[in-house]
Amino acid sequence: MIRRLYIHNFRCLENFELPISGQPSVLLIGKNGAGKTTVSFALEILQGIARGTNRVRDLVNPRDATRGRTDVPMRFEIEVELDANIYEYVIAFELPKDFKELRVLEENLVVDGRPVYTREKAQVHLAKTSQEKDAEFFIDWHMVALPIVQERSKTDPLSIFKRWLASMLILRPIPSLIDGNSEQDTLHPNAEVTNFGAWFSGLLAYAPAAYGEIATYLKQVMPDLNDIKNPLIGADSRSLVVQFSYELGSLNLPFKELSDGEKCFMISALVLAAHKASDKLFCFWDEPDNYLALDEVGHFVTALRKAFRTGGGQFIATSHNPEAIRRFSDENTLVLHRKNHFEPTLVRPLSEIQVSGDLIGALIRGDV
Amino acid sequence: MGVNKYQPHVLVLLEDDANRQLVNGFLLEVDSISKIQILHEVGGWKKVLTSFRDDYINDMERFPQRFMVLLFDLDNQGENRLEFAKTYIPSHLTERVFILTTLDEPEDLKKAKLGHLETVGEALAKDCRDGTDMTWNHPLLKHNEDELNRLRKHVRPILFQS
Repeated sequence: MIRRLYIHNFRCLENFELPISGQPSVLLIGKNGAGKTTVSFALEILQGIARGTNRVRDLVNPRDATRGRTDVPMRFEIEVELDANIYEYVIAFELPKDFKELRVLEENLVVDGRPVYTREKAQVHLAKTSQEKDAEFFIDWHMVALPIVQERSKTDPLSIFKRWLASMLILRPIPSLIDGNSEQDTLHPNAEVTNFGAWFSGLLAYAPAAYGEIATYLKQVMPDLNDIKNPLIGADSRSLVVQFSYELGSLNLPFKELSDGEKCFMISALVLAAHKASDKLFCFWDEPDNYLALDEVGHFVTALRKAFRTGGGQFIATSHNPEAIRRFSDENTLVLHRKNHFEPTLVRPLSEIQVSGDLIGALIRGDV
Repeated sequence: MGVNKYQPHVLVLLEDDANRQLVNGFLLEVDSISKIQILHEVGGWKKVLTSFRDDYINDMERFPQRFMVLLFDLDNQGENRLEFAKTYIPSHLTERVFILTTLDEPEDLKKAKLGHLETVGEALAKDCRDGTDMTWNHPLLKHNEDELNRLRKHVRPILFQS
């Protein structure tokens, strides 16, 4: 679970801290341009590092600095609790004069107050462990160290943190681009979830029991669903087929022919199954209510909130949808606000804001 | 996962934002969330009653598997308001309509250190599921005992597995 997320000088986020500590599920609300989705972009940078992207220019660019302020470091700090251990990862980038590409200014991983490694510009200091002496080495300052530093074992804190960070689900699905085809397996869906087929295969390979979880959920939302198959359609490729059955017979539909909303049900099923299979899962879903019928939204959001109450995971959603907003309460709703494009995003818990009458009415009036 | 109106299901009509947050907590403990739908806050205890009368009675007659819970505040008007509320429920629907209230208003539950409203809602649902009265026995809620017993008989099997 994330205890602290701090972002500075990244797009509209300046000296920005997201207060989500101890909250299994949180909703971010706010007007268009307030910075809700930008939070997910910041998380995606950290996720990208853990998934192996180590070239700085593939993660951030000078134009990501707030209002072009490249004389100020861009900073990302995350503090996570995993199995009662506290992991703190910090990375800051800077753009020296005459540079075109940002470089790493500072990078640290600290576990329970003890450094795993620290770094200033090109110089990395690996802390002493029970087996090995401390060490220093230099790396290209346009490279991030986290993907490069050698993991000693699967139980190495570095390995545990990287696996967790890489497993974060940052979702902004575009259902029309999801065809259910795959050529490999993965546990790491991309933000648009265009690799849904690969994620489905990867999750079932990792945790075969996940199919039961997926089927149970989907049969609630699509009672005529009978089975999901993932047959080979070539030497190395598969294509998902969804089978529906009724008293009069059955129907096999290629995944790509499902409606946008039905594809979102499928994604939700995989999120729930992944959470069950791996616990401590972090999921940020930007507008999960998109594409859903009005009578489905509340149940959809509640199912996700309910699941993430256990297992030490965390679910964060953004929304403009009244039905989704209603299914969160004052203490787990954060309001992001930005006066104009020249000022930074501010965040406040809804519980600290005086709202007259019902919340949706106040949002419509622009009073929140 | 919208409710199936031909199968037993529950609609909750509520007064205000505080009631909504109580219900949010309740929902997090429900086993069959697809069998309950939360309607919009109508903005006043009397509006709950008039909305029920004007917008829901016809459909309750059309869909015999529909149960409704009306949730509002008594604002310390106790018996008088409850008796008045009952006059809005046609006799042929009383078996399927339930009135739950807080003695004054739900915010008092927070002040009574029972936690956030969502937390109180979770505790109320656990009581319903487990057959206990720990939170329902609170002085602000205890007057619901008869309705709670009816709910346990008719609604609990719809929302909870065992």
